[in-house]
Amino acid sequence: MTKKSNGSGQGGGLYEVVWPCGERKQALRPLAKRLDTLNGKTIAQLWDYLFAGDEVFSALEEKLRDRYPDVKFVSWREFGSTHAVNEKELLASLPQRFKDLGVDAAISSMAC
Amino acid sequence: MSQAAATSVGLGMPNLPVAIIPGHPGVQSVEELRTNSRNVTAQQVIENLLAQPAEQKLAPEPSAREIVFRGTFEEVNAHFYEREWSDGLPVVPPTLEKIEEFLSFTDRAPEESLGILLPENRAATVWGVAVNGVMAGCRPQYMPILVALVEAMADPIYGVEHSGNTPGSDTLIVLNGPIIKDLDFNYTQGVLRDGFMPNTSVGRFWRLALRNLAGFRLHKNDKATFGNTFRVVLAENEEALAKIGWPPNSVDMGHAAGDNTVTISRCTGGGVIVSVTGSTPQEMMPYIADAVAKQTGWEIVFTVGSLSIGTLRPVLVLSPILAQTIARAGWSKDDVKRYLYEHARTPAWRVETLTDRWTDFPIGSLKQQVNLGRLPKAFHESDDPNRLVPIVLEADDFMVLVSGDPLRTNAYTFAHNGYLGFPAARKIALPKDWSERIRAMRK
Repeated sequence: MTKKSNGSGQGGGLYEVVWPCGERKQALRPLAKRLDTLNGKTIAQLWDYLFAGDEVFSALEEKLRDRYPDVKFVSWREFGSTHAVNEKELLASLPQRFKDLGVDAAISSMAC
Repeated sequence: MSQAAATSVGLGMPNLPVAIIPGHPGVQSVEELRTNSRNVTAQQVIENLLAQPAEQKLAPEPSAREIVFRGTFEEVNAHFYEREWSDGLPVVPPTLEKIEEFLSFTDRAPEESLGILLPENRAATVWGVAVNGVMAGCRPQYMPILVALVEAMADPIYGVEHSGNTPGSDTLIVLNGPIIKDLDFNYTQGVLRDGFMPNTSVGRFWRLALRNLAGFRLHKNDKATFGNTFRVVLAENEEALAKIGWPPNSVDMGHAAGDNTVTISRCTGGGVIVSVTGSTPQEMMPYIADAVAKQTGWEIVFTVGSLSIGTLRPVLVLSPILAQTIARAGWSKDDVKRYLYEHARTPAWRVETLTDRWTDFPIGSLKQQVNLGRLPKAFHESDDPNRLVPIVLEADDFMVLVSGDPLRTNAYTFAHNGYLGFPAARKIALPKDWSERIRAMRK
């Protein structure tokens, strides 16, 4: 329920209050189009060097290759940790790096 | 999962798909983890790569001055609590009248943005600062400090986006300058305890600002395992510092002595160093250095690598009598920092066990880090695992403050969250008519 204030802020023991949050400045971004298959596609691995992501990615590679033998991966080693002190610079570099490496999709990990 | 869902909204992608690992990788063997990844996670990854998620829209939000609710004190608080706008304590209802009182203590325009804050990518405006200052129970005259705090919060070097991280660290706010006395901040006995309105309410404001201006809420974007609540503001004892010729923290942070400043730094935890005994630094400092070293445990990963190299900034707070006793021997604050660098050390085996066995922040070895040129030689002067190594890269990495009970021989040390809350300082801008208004208030 919203109301316009008459400026007084309080009347008859009642308070007219505003909300405390700031305006959102990030517009909604449509997600990239999903792939039709993983065969022939290049998937980038992004890792924050936490929570045994190296083992997880290794296991995922095996399983995904079982189903999609022609899938290619760009290892997390190519990019370095996404949670290090240079995090902002690294993330800003990704669009160009993905272009240069022919990346079609990315898996970013690990969180808990 | 809920953090991923909440964070992706702030990034403009509320429908960003995630895949899960059952349980927690930290307590699974490698075989269990790989089996879970293959049997559970892989299928979700495939679906996320191939199936287009449905578009989502966000609910419209009010504008800044729009009245969103009208009710009694209790009704306003219930309304705010249900919407996670309050911290669970009663808030002062933010009416337009109260907000204008706060705005009268800054020359900045209400709609001026002090920065865009993650994780929700919201603009932190002067208006928003005033709203949350009202809610926190601050007095209007604290407004210049609140504005400076949010400016510091928005400084990229601080890393506000890490404020909901797993360790649940909380911010230490250090206040310097004549404003301490202008506004009757406590800077002596019990300086870190609630009880003085300025210290307490400004500390509370900080967490409300993180909640409402940045977007950190428990079980959503704030994933502290345990967490800490707000710290009351620590005001330095500048009289004591002046008597012994030590600079205030404002100078250490690059400002001029006599400037009003706030410094923020995220600290993982702290401990009191009780009953420091001795009449010379040589007698007193070994105990203090030992306590400072022991307060840093896993946080060493911010010095030696895996998370960062050299971003650890441990804090030592000396009571005035301890500082005076040390200074009486001719020691400067820099001498204290140098002593801490030389003596607040930890065994190499402890560092390597912490990083490579007890936690999941491996570095290989200190020897390897030195050989790769990542760490200085001080971290590998021999292969003796019992050799003592520094906890920081250089003496200036320590923050030394003077506050607390002037006549108690206690000190306090805080461990630090490294680059995930790196110290940031801001000068406090006062309105043109500050001096007159403070004088009028004191009459």
